[in-house]
Amino acid sequence: MKISEEILNNISSLSKIRIDEKIKSDLVKDLESILEMVGEMNKIDTSGIEPMSHPLEEADNLRKDKATKEIKRDEYQKSAPQTDDGFYLTPKVIE
Amino acid sequence: MEDLSKLSLIDQINGLKSRKFSSMELTEFYLKKIDQEKALNSFISLNENALKEAKKSDEKIAKNKNSSLEGIPIAHKDIFCIKDQITTCGSKMLENFVSPYSSTVYEKLSNSGTVNLGKTNMDEFAMGSSNETSFFGNVLNPIDPERVPGGSSGGSASAVAANLCSFATGTDTGGSIRQPAAFCGITGIKPTYGRVSRWGMIAFASSLDQGGIFAKNALDAALALENIAGFDEKDSTSINTKVPSFLNEAESKDKEHIVGIPKDIIENIKDDKVKNNFYESLEILKKSGVKVKEIDLKNIQYSLPVYYVIAPAECSANLSRYDGVRFGHRCDNPKDLEDLYERSRAEGFGEEVKKRILIGTYCLSAGYYDAYYIKAQKIRNLIKQSFVNAFKEVSSIMMPTCANVSFKLNSIQNPVEMYEQDIYTIPANLAGLPAISIPSGKIKKLPLGIQFIGNYLEEGNLFNLSNKFQQNSNFHNE
Repeated sequence: MKISEEILNNISSLSKIRIDEKIKSDLVKDLESILEMVGEMNKIDTSGIEPMSHPLEEADNLRKDKATKEIKRDEYQKSAPQTDDGFYLTPKVIE
Repeated sequence: MEDLSKLSLIDQINGLKSRKFSSMELTEFYLKKIDQEKALNSFISLNENALKEAKKSDEKIAKNKNSSLEGIPIAHKDIFCIKDQITTCGSKMLENFVSPYSSTVYEKLSNSGTVNLGKTNMDEFAMGSSNETSFFGNVLNPIDPERVPGGSSGGSASAVAANLCSFATGTDTGGSIRQPAAFCGITGIKPTYGRVSRWGMIAFASSLDQGGIFAKNALDAALALENIAGFDEKDSTSINTKVPSFLNEAESKDKEHIVGIPKDIIENIKDDKVKNNFYESLEILKKSGVKVKEIDLKNIQYSLPVYYVIAPAECSANLSRYDGVRFGHRCDNPKDLEDLYERSRAEGFGEEVKKRILIGTYCLSAGYYDAYYIKAQKIRNLIKQSFVNAFKEVSSIMMPTCANVSFKLNSIQNPVEMYEQDIYTIPANLAGLPAISIPSGKIKKLPLGIQFIGNYLEEGNLFNLSNKFQQNSNFHNE
């Protein structure tokens, strides 16, 4: 599997990770070698097999959907890079 | 005074109870040792309240109000959140992240009376097999400081092997407890998926991640694990079933074992010394009355490719939370929101983590999803079925933990070669089965490990088998 410039730019944009020009060629080489190893999967016929997303069949211990009064916004926002009056700040989105 | 750090967990508990020594003395002993062994780089941060915690434990012991692990100094992999303490996950992204809550694993061990010495070093976001991807520098293997301790829980393994703590917590997504345990010559258990709560354990690949224990021997590991296992309503994948006394099960005389030997895998071990060690270990087991049966584990050879689709896919989703807005690293002077996201993530993540996010994103992207992600999930199902079938005939399965002994720092540059470190450990994660690694000998002073994989929720069986092996060998004390 070849990773073209177009694919690399697409996955970089989808994953929101800027890729430094200087490392692009080494990175592509690594990604291609990983995908080549992953390509081994094609040796096996999986028609009619159900995909398995999880090791446990009954992993759905959901809590009761009960409202609580626990609000710790100030505590949680202590780790935020920038907040103002309970809001998270980002650069301007709408001009 | 004798070297208290060399005592087993069980001997330390007895020593504390009988007032042979105090938790303060034991904790001071370890803190001094950690300071002497700084060069190993096993710890990312130390708990400045360790001695205060020890003092409290001593007070409880004096009043006979001690909990099961009262006063025992331990270390936590820096992936487990502790309220008001920095939890880095080995990443620049979380270099200054102070957690607003504690993980269930930490809470449980704290309630059991343990003293937290500090947080151990690890591969960034648990992605690595050598501890070389940590933002906080690599960890040295205490057995040979030119070599890696394994990964991703390299700091915990190194700390237990160097006697810097009584036992340590770790996590295992594809081998991150068992491989470093093998490289450092100690015991490491990854329990059944869902046995230990993942609440507050920073996520890498949610359908594979599982918390576990590093200890000096199987009995210590059994006792430690029973203190972190159990249902947690905060983790929807936590199994709601009673936790037995693993220590009692480990010591039980009533358990009979039929150990499965996956012939194809064993015959294909490339290193003759590793293969010989496997058969020598098998002889030790046979002497203790364990029965052996050859089995066929179909499709297990596809575990590595399957894992390197599923783990990166889940990691790309899990790590999307690090956006430079709510917590974690933010770049300087972003010019717009896109720039903020892209540069914060490019600066905050290391190269290995970025690589895995990119691979995962690729496998999940339009046009590739079925060919990679769904295909991998289908093979995952086949691999699980192979285990289910095998466990109709045997009570556990034996394999080497690793294909080789610990390697030299910076000696593996090719990503696929590094990923192959985990060929024997990944299958248990894909199926969600419990697995343990125990020391089984040495090649030129470097430890080797043997691995037992058990049926679902049969950790007690694995401890029993491992204890039998350790009663008939001395590798765990060398």
